[in-house]
Amino acid sequence: MDSIRNFCIIAHIDHGKSTLADRLIQSCGAVEERQFRDQILDSMDIERERGITIKSNTVTLLYDSPDGNRYTLNLIDTPGHVDFSHEVRRSLMSCEGALLLVDASQGVEAQTVANLYLALEYDLEILPLINKIDLPSADVEHAREEISEDLGLDPYEAVLCSAKRGTGIEDVLEAVIHKLPPPTGDPRAQLQALIFDAQYDPYRGVVMICRVKEGRLRPGQRIRLMHSDKEYQVEEVGYLQLRRVKTDELAAGSVGYVIAGIKTVRDIAIGDTITDAESPADEPLPGYKEAKPVVFSSIYPMSTDDYEDLTTALDKLALNDAALTFEKDSSAALGFGFRCGFLGLLHLDVVQERLKREYDLALILSAPSVRYQITLNSGEEIAVDNPTLYPDPSQIDSATEPYIKASIMMPERYIGVVMELCREKRGLNTTFNYLAVGRVELTAELPLAEVLFDFYDKLKTVTQGYGSFDYEMLDYRSTDLVKVDILVNGEPVDALSQLVHRDMARARAMRYCERLEETIPRQQFKIAIQGAIGGQIIARTTINAYRKDVTAKCYGGDITRKRKLLEKQREGKKRMKVVGSVEIPQSAFMAVLRSDDKK
Amino acid sequence: MSSFNGPGLYIHVPFCRRICPYCDFSVLTGDRSWQSRYVRHLLLEIDLSTGSGWPDLIHEPPRQPFDTIYFGGGTPSMLRPEDLGTILAALRDQLPVRDDAWLFLEANPEDVTLEAATTWRQMGFRTISLGVQSFAEQHLSFLGRQHTPRTARQSLDNAISAGFDTVAMDLIYGLPGQTPTDWRRDLDAALAAQPHHLSCYQLTVHPRTPFGFRRQRGELAEMENDEQAELFLMTHRLLEEGGLPGYEVSSFAAGPEHHSLHNQKYWTHTPYLGLGPSAHSFAQRRRWWNPRKIKAWMAPLAEGRSPIESGEELGLQSLVLESLMLGLRTYAGVDFDTLPGGTGQRLWEENEATIDRLVERGLATAERSCLRPTLRGLAIADTVARSLDLDCLREESP
Repeated sequence: MDSIRNFCIIAHIDHGKSTLADRLIQSCGAVEERQFRDQILDSMDIERERGITIKSNTVTLLYDSPDGNRYTLNLIDTPGHVDFSHEVRRSLMSCEGALLLVDASQGVEAQTVANLYLALEYDLEILPLINKIDLPSADVEHAREEISEDLGLDPYEAVLCSAKRGTGIEDVLEAVIHKLPPPTGDPRAQLQALIFDAQYDPYRGVVMICRVKEGRLRPGQRIRLMHSDKEYQVEEVGYLQLRRVKTDELAAGSVGYVIAGIKTVRDIAIGDTITDAESPADEPLPGYKEAKPVVFSSIYPMSTDDYEDLTTALDKLALNDAALTFEKDSSAALGFGFRCGFLGLLHLDVVQERLKREYDLALILSAPSVRYQITLNSGEEIAVDNPTLYPDPSQIDSATEPYIKASIMMPERYIGVVMELCREKRGLNTTFNYLAVGRVELTAELPLAEVLFDFYDKLKTVTQGYGSFDYEMLDYRSTDLVKVDILVNGEPVDALSQLVHRDMARARAMRYCERLEETIPRQQFKIAIQGAIGGQIIARTTINAYRKDVTAKCYGGDITRKRKLLEKQREGKKRMKVVGSVEIPQSAFMAVLRSDDKK
Repeated sequence: MSSFNGPGLYIHVPFCRRICPYCDFSVLTGDRSWQSRYVRHLLLEIDLSTGSGWPDLIHEPPRQPFDTIYFGGGTPSMLRPEDLGTILAALRDQLPVRDDAWLFLEANPEDVTLEAATTWRQMGFRTISLGVQSFAEQHLSFLGRQHTPRTARQSLDNAISAGFDTVAMDLIYGLPGQTPTDWRRDLDAALAAQPHHLSCYQLTVHPRTPFGFRRQRGELAEMENDEQAELFLMTHRLLEEGGLPGYEVSSFAAGPEHHSLHNQKYWTHTPYLGLGPSAHSFAQRRRWWNPRKIKAWMAPLAEGRSPIESGEELGLQSLVLESLMLGLRTYAGVDFDTLPGGTGQRLWEENEATIDRLVERGLATAERSCLRPTLRGLAIADTVARSLDLDCLREESP
């Protein structure tokens, strides 16, 4: 066990975590040079493109140290986004140490701090690394100062490296074995293994990735998942060395995979504890928390014919993504779809992208919503995350909405505009701290609903990209909620209805109307677009009738070209949704529901 | 004129002195040697068509002889009269052409001297169509035309003096910056010249033309849709008052006898055979065409092979869509009873609500089986054609 090190890398987005992981893998020879694709651990296309890790991956490396010993290094990759902080927690719980990556030119960022605290919560030994030392803008001394002042770590412990160039990688590996502690645990004790990730294999079912804390896991063993209280028989255990490598057992201290004939990831819960069914442990490992969706949106296929395909696609995605929830939903404007729950906006984005790319589906998503708690006059309490299920206002006694605690780090020159942004977004209890020279951390309590609506984009704009954002869920607070409907020629477009705070209703409605005005093509008749609360119109725009739409010339008998154009337009028309005889193209829904403001 | 309901012949003459910046036709600026090569190859194509005129892909060729011959381009008036004569003789010799076939010639004003016009008239051309485009100096130069307003007027006088049955003229409007007053002046000038037929085309900026590239670079702003609509409606109203009532989106004539016999064949799926580069042909629900580039058209001919590049067989839905889209461009509208495959009644029933709405909105009138666009409907003929649902025809083969 002394030769095992379980560690993860924590870093701010883009500070080079995946690149470092790649180098570690390479220098341990886990993969041949010619097979090497950059950022091996980020296996999804979307992850590669965006340069962020969404689904964590784990790899076991065999490192031959100059001290003559061979070490087993379990590198547990963690997702790099707040939406996936539950996964981060799980991963951290499986480690004894963490490499904390700091960009030599950018210094310590908000997320670095947040992740550090998280890592400290789990008693991890922290090894700071200063990466990207090859950059002309690298300022190692400054980075050291920040490590000391912002993070409270010993700056002279920091290992210097450039993951991109491959410099200092040997030093990193040596520091891992000498500075990070080996795992503890007793192979003879009762089995306790933490499931911190799961994959889905179409042939083998669920592949659980776990850290064995105590005891042993072996094929043939009868196991019990302590929280879900289900029993299975272990078929196979092994290590993840970029591919699965079978082994006879996983003993206390190791990290590996378990296959036990489980059909979908829904049957297990990340964070659950595996124990032996015959001689179970007394207690599960601590830290189990259900991943609860906080952002909800309805997904409709662009073409109603694709509903079946969407159903299949969501089922398949869910095999791999236990945090995604969905149930049937339907809209008068958009037909059948699904009401889906996500961990956050990025999670929503990722699911949407995957549905598009991997399943080739054209989709319309309704405006993301949070889940409101509503107390009716009758005293009954209901949760509403779907505007179409919003009860009649006369029956509502009171409503509450979720708040988050936002933490924003930025160079101090932006503090004014960011505070203004928080105020606009109904922020409360805004406080700020000057961290180091020139840097400020601002915390504010914000309604999550406002964060969903263009907060990230505005923050990015006002801080010119220098602001970083992190949040945690806080609590539910009372709110003055209204349902804003959008009417096209007097007919409500249910998919565009939104629950909003009364103060924001008019502005939001106006913006929707304007977006629709820009994107709905002119038609044979005049179109009125209105925003309304109940019967009261609060915003209005119009689209004038189209008055000229005919090609000048059908010449030389080349009617084919003209017809094909018309056919293409007709196809386009079919993909439009008709509301009150107005044809609304997909782009209009997307433009309205897009949160950023392109103007 | 109902006697001219046989198939038509189209001859594409791809030459121009200069290529207009808005043009996306198959054209080239070739010297005389190109023209003679062109004529040689056209004669080869006519040779290949000897007999019925129709290629093998039409196994039951139309029985009626050709009753129109249309020389379009390009600039057919650039061809030497001898060449025109040779082509006409070959057509009459080798294809079934009615003796009294109606002959059309497109001409550029600068080519239309009284002498030339008289020669063409003597060769049997009955309609001459003049590419005047504008009577305003600055618009002519914007459009890259070579002639002056004076030449334009002179050419019309010459054509009328030469005694053509129909003197036709093309104008282009909807130019960037053109005001209603500008356009009214053009129309007045056109009316003053007393042509029998007028085509008024709104400028379409095609991609991959000099105008298209200018638009891409942001150097050419197309006219706003509302202004285009204004001009469109104004054109139809003014010309009606001026004695040239419209009968199609872009076509106006002093009387039905001057309606373009040849274009009407395109609009009614009457068979037509096109020869020359880029020429399109249609018969028996099939449409086929020659390559656009002159070399690609000549190469197979030089080896004694047909130059046809590709084609399509129109399914019932496509055929009906074309009938609707073309019919709704005409004042006469669409008689559903004459729609291909006897589909009219079903289609009408399927679209009853849509038709009602078109009528309600003043875009069309519906009388028995006829759907006729109003002027406002004509202005959005494409929208109207798109609004009709043809899904009930989807599964049927021709």
